[in-house]
Formats: sequence, structure tokens, C-alpha cells
Amino acid sequence: MVATGKTTGVDGQLFKRALLGSLSWLATNHEEVNRLNVFPVPDGDTGTNMLLTLQSAVEDVKESNAAEVSKIAKLASHGSLMGARGNSGVILSQIFRGFARAVEGKSSLTPAELAAAFEEAANAAYRAVNKPTEGTILTVAREAGRAAGTAASNPDATVPRVIAAAAAGARSAVLKTPTQLQILRDAGVVDAGGFGLQLILEGMLKSVEESEPIASLNEPRRPVVAASQVGLALPEGGWGYCTEFLIEGNNLDTDLIRGQIESLGNSVLVVGEPELVKVHVHTDDPTSVINLAGGYGKVLKLSVGDMSTQHRRILEAAGGAGDARPPRPNGAGLVAVVAGRGLVDIFRGLGVDAIIEGGQTMNPSTQDMLTAIESVPYEEVILLPNNGNVIPAAKQVVGLTKKKVHVIETHSVPQGVSAVVAFRPERAGDENVRAMKAEAERVQTIEVTHAVRDTRSNGVKVKKGDVIGLINDRLEIAGDDYSEVVNKALRKLGPDTYELVTVYRGEQASDAELKSLESAIRSSYPALEVEVQQGGQQHYPFILSVE
Amino acid sequence: MARTFGVVTDSTADLPAEWRERYGIEVVPLKVLFGKETLRDGVDMTSDEFFTRLAASSSLPTTSAPSPGEFAEVYQRLAKDHDGCISIHIGARLSATAEAARVGAEAVEGFKVNVIDSQSVSMPLAFLCRVAAESETLDQATAAVEQRVPKCRVLALLDTLRYLEMGGRLSRAQAMIGTMLDLKPLLLVSENAEIKPVDRVRTRSRAIQRMIEFVRGEQPIERLAVMHAQAPDEAEGIAAELRKEFPDQEIPLGQIGCVLGTHTGPKALGLVYIKA
Repeated sequence: MVATGKTTGVDGQLFKRALLGSLSWLATNHEEVNRLNVFPVPDGDTGTNMLLTLQSAVEDVKESNAAEVSKIAKLASHGSLMGARGNSGVILSQIFRGFARAVEGKSSLTPAELAAAFEEAANAAYRAVNKPTEGTILTVAREAGRAAGTAASNPDATVPRVIAAAAAGARSAVLKTPTQLQILRDAGVVDAGGFGLQLILEGMLKSVEESEPIASLNEPRRPVVAASQVGLALPEGGWGYCTEFLIEGNNLDTDLIRGQIESLGNSVLVVGEPELVKVHVHTDDPTSVINLAGGYGKVLKLSVGDMSTQHRRILEAAGGAGDARPPRPNGAGLVAVVAGRGLVDIFRGLGVDAIIEGGQTMNPSTQDMLTAIESVPYEEVILLPNNGNVIPAAKQVVGLTKKKVHVIETHSVPQGVSAVVAFRPERAGDENVRAMKAEAERVQTIEVTHAVRDTRSNGVKVKKGDVIGLINDRLEIAGDDYSEVVNKALRKLGPDTYELVTVYRGEQASDAELKSLESAIRSSYPALEVEVQQGGQQHYPFILSVE
Repeated sequence: MARTFGVVTDSTADLPAEWRERYGIEVVPLKVLFGKETLRDGVDMTSDEFFTRLAASSSLPTTSAPSPGEFAEVYQRLAKDHDGCISIHIGARLSATAEAARVGAEAVEGFKVNVIDSQSVSMPLAFLCRVAAESETLDQATAAVEQRVPKCRVLALLDTLRYLEMGGRLSRAQAMIGTMLDLKPLLLVSENAEIKPVDRVRTRSRAIQRMIEFVRGEQPIERLAVMHAQAPDEAEGIAAELRKEFPDQEIPLGQIGCVLGTHTGPKALGLVYIKA
């Protein structure tokens, strides 16, 4: 569509294609942006937040055949405001808003008008932020705008040249960010949000360039160190709550609202239109913030995240499961009883909506379970006790709530995991229960612990302190060390019929014990795949699932 | 060949070499980028070579669509002795290839190019090419292909989601995958090149069983093939199993090419089919 020389102005459809180009380029590279997150508590990954924001910006644009650039820009501005996530996403939405304002009433942009719109977009972003910081996406936006302006003043200026200049300006600004911000310098990375904006401009360029993408875009771009190498320190006093929402109302005054919210927290962003304002704040007192907002209009799309928890989770396990899971439309909620930090993360990652801490010696109450069931936004709930001792209390819950509760009698962690894996959000409750039961029954459980006293059980004689192995809740083996007991248990199960052993390592098991267990299984049963998970459970140094 | 129109596809069609010759189909390669080195899918590098290199490479390659100019060249060449052509490509939601073809086609004046967004990927495209090649006129070919586009399916078992995630084609949440457990998701590419998870299990053999069960529920099926990335024995096993259930089907085996392989990673398996 855009052949050489034909590109004279930016009309609606060209701008649309440019946005789609941005989206695809950011989508391809957003993980790289994610790796640049160095703030001690990312509110979520910057790359993902920007991508989701951009996706939302493009959503309505995609369907539009508008010839006027003003119309497409307005759709993008509105879409990005509705979908804005995280700091960088919110700023990105302001960039779109500034751009839309600048091109209002125009059907097509000359290279000079395009450059002016880029500059105005950056200005709007600056205005939206309470205390603009250099070395961030703001700086990159401004430098991109400046570079575009310079390119546009050249008599040979074309649209692709202006965009190329903006992208190049962004790139050089990104590379300079570590000289402007200590935190980036310390971490040895460039600013993530700025880099995201650079990708957006590069994506635009790729889509308006007529033939091959410019060579430099295909170079490996690793001027950076992965954020995982950066030590994360938790300051005293915690982080409070990352609170985000929209206010819908009339004649909303962003400056006024911002001023009031600033007294309640930091990292404050208040942006939007007189009818719709987006608020982002890190606060220790989300309730007051929400009450304040409620005085201005209707509060929509509220999200409150406990950043201390987020932070801990990030330290424990690289990459979170994403807490912002939207509720499933019809299906049932999932509630599980789990103990051990690793296991909690595993169950959460698999899609469990609420977790009750508990298990072997810390049996949760019916009330505990009831509370958890009431807390999930579903009228139908599937409850997984994951321990024989918890099943009775779990079954009592059924009559105590108006909600329809199914208890799947999982006796162990492996059974619970198998059941959850079989859960399909789109399936009806009964159907899920059937499938989950069937999967829970397929898996074999080996639990390894120490005998707490001398006894004889199930024909096995044990002395206090012995290592003992339980297969599906029955004491089957006693021995001197973990590896021996596990190997014997596997032999009893008949390893030829199985494919995968998952080892959930408990808190008491040392690295050396884990290593020797792993190698014992591998050398005795080379055909079995062995997967190790940090379960963090107490009392059982090892729990194994065999399937 | 008496056919007056050309048939063009791209390298993600995983078109068997034999079909390419028999039906005179043009294949425009996408590209794989290992660092600064750009390799044309299936031209500079075979699927086997690709996976060998992938295993040895510390960083993941990226991929890129052909340029409009590369399409224009092919159309230009076809224009010499054809009235027009049909150009069948990987779903526009997954790649910029179809868009590049469209732009390339506009550069060749007076030559009719019907660009088809297959909304799919891999051998369904090869099947569509065959349908086109066996048609008498360009209009008939286009109608026959368009009618089948919404019926293309790819049911894929990936050994790991790492590659798909890195390529930005799927988020963890979309795949219903927790971060820790090594789950085997079954993904379905259906209409509009939408990738959605249909099942997840813990072991590969269970996953293969589920794939066969899933396809059983998708009958009637017009054409069916088994795709693999460096897993020929498992693919043959699946094909043998399926031939019992679909005795009338030829059920060819296909190898996943370099560009698609960048996103599936090694040991991927796929059941690809066109619903009747």
C-alpha cells in the first residue's frame, strides 16, 4: 500500500498500520522489556503492561476504516486509557492522548505536523506525571519528539524519515538512561519503559518502511543485563498496596484529585478526561484512597495489590503467575488446602482461586474453609483438602453455605496437583469434578518422613527416627535413608508402567539429600523422567508423585 | 501444466517437496535470524539443520516475514506466463506475511493476485494449496480455498512453552500454565488463527492419547496430517493409530520448518486437519 515515494502524509489508515506495526514489534520483544525491570517491586512486568496497554489502544483501531488520522488517534487514545496498566502503561496512554489532541480535526499529517504531534505527545506525558523523572520513558518520549522535529525541518523530510528520526532519538535516549538514574546504573540496565517506547516507534517504522526493515532492527539488542542478576532488597515498613482504578464522573479535575491522593501515597499518577480518570498510587491505606475517589464519581476497575506479597513472591520464584486473573464467566471456583510456600505457589500458578494454609499438623477449620469459599466470586466451588486429616472438616462445609460446594477427596499433594491440572475453566462444575476425580485417582503418592515412635504397622516394623515410606497413605517401607526408601517404594509400584516422577522437596531436606535422591532414582530407573519442585512442606522431607 | 494461474504459499505451509513439484507451487521463505545471520526458511537451512543449531545456540533465534519486494518478484515472474495467482499464507494474526504479500501484489500492475489469509499455519496451508492447484480456474480455486479457511485446525503438543512465549505468541496465562510445573498443554489453532488451550496434562504419553481422542471428536474430517519437530517415531505412531480410525485418509507425515520451529521448539507434535 505504501510504495516508495507515495507516502506523503499520515492518514488514518497509515497511522492504523503504524500502530499495528508497533503492537507486533512490542509483542515480539516485550519479554526483553520485562527483563529490564529493576524497581524493587514491579507492579507487574513493564513490557507486559505496555503490551497490554497498546493492545487495548489498538483494539478499536483495528476495526476502523476511518480515513482521518484524528479519528484513529482518538480511538487509540481512548482504548489505551481504558486498558492502561502499571506506570509505563499509564504514561503510554498519556502519550496517545497528547498525540490525539495534537492531531484533532486533521485528516492527514504532513511530516512537520507528525513531528509536532510527537512533541506534543511527550509534553502531555510530562504534564500527567506528578514529579517527572529524567532517565525514564518521559525523557525518551521527549528526545524522540525532538529528533522528529529536527528531521521535519529538513526540506527533504518524509514521513518515514521523521519516524526513523524519532526511533533513533528514542534509541539514543534509552542508552543514556543509566547516566540519568542511579537505580539503572546500579543494576546495569537501561530503562524498561523507555525501551518499550523505543520498540513502539521502531514498530511504526517497520510498518511504514516499504521493503526490508532497516538493518539495525535485526541486530541482537542486548546492551543490558537481566534484572534477575540484580539484588532486590526489601525496605523496612513494607511497600503498601499498588492501587489502581478509574473514576467515571463529570468535570473531573485531575490536578485537584492528584493533589489529594498525593497526601495518601507515592508513585501517584492521575490522568484522563473530564469524564474518565485513571488513578495509580502506591499507598498503605487503599481504603482512604478509594473513599476519596468515591466522592468524585463512580469507581471502576479497582485493583489493589499487596506489594509486600508481590515482592516476596518475586524473590522466591522468578516470574509470577499473574494475579490479575479475570474471573471465569460461568464455571466453578477452586479452593485448596495447602502448606509449604513452594506448594502454595504451585497451586496458585495452576489457577486455584483461594488457598487455605494448612495440612498435616495444622489442620484448617471448617470455618477457615468456609471463609475461603465465601471469598471467591463463584456460586459453585470445588474444594481440595489435599490431606486425609482435612477431609472430614472439608465435608462439613457443604451444608454451611448457600454456595454449591464439591469436595474432591484428595488425600495428598500429588492427588491435589493432578486434580487441579485437570481443571478446565470453561467446563461446568459437575463435569470438572468428574475429570478431576479421575485424574486424582490415576496418580500414585509416595510420602517420605521419619517415624516419631517405635511401631509396627501394616507388617512393617519401625523404630523411632527411621526413615519411612508411605504409598498412598499406607506405611509400606522403613529404612535408613531417603534414597533407599524411595527406590523401594518405586519398585513396589512397578516403575515400568509409569513415566514421570515429581519430587516435592520439603523444608527439612538438604541439597545433598535432594541430589542423592535424584541420582538414585535416575540410575535405578533410567526410563523415568524426574522433575524436582521446591514444595517447602514441613514434616515430609520428600513427597513424590508417580504417574 | 495447463493451469493458467499460479499457486503461491510461504514456508510456514510445511509443503512436502514432492507436492511442490507435482503441483508446481511457489514457496516464498520466511526468515530465521540467529543474531546477525539471516537464513531463509527451507532454502538456506533445512528443518533438521535448524533444530541442530537451535539445540547448540545459547540465545533463541527470531523470525521475520518475507518483504513485499520478495513477493513482488515471485508475482512478476509468474505474470510472464500466468493470468493471475492465488497466494495462500500463514494467518495474519500470527505473522505479517500475508500483509507483505498484499503490499507486494500491489506493486505488480495488471496481474491478479488473490491473497488468502489462511487463518492457520503449517500443513493446512499445504492442503489448501493442493485444493487450489487441482481447481480449473483462479476463481474456482479461490472459492474452494476460502470455503475451507474457517475449517483449518492445528492441534499442537509442545514439549515446552518456552519458545512460544519468547516469540510473544502466547502468554503463560493464556496457556493455563502455572509457572513451576512442567505441564504439557494441548493448543488448538482454529479460526482467525486463535491459539487456545484445550487441555493440559503432565506426561507426554497422556497428551498424545488426548490428541487422538480430541481429533476423534472432530469428525467428519476432509484431510488430516501429522506434523513433528524431530520426533518422527512418535509421529509415525500417531499416524498408524489414526489410520485405523480414518482408513480412507492418506495421513501424510510432515516436518515442522525452521520459522514455525522457532515458536514450537523441538519435539513438538501436531495433528493438522481440515474439517469436512
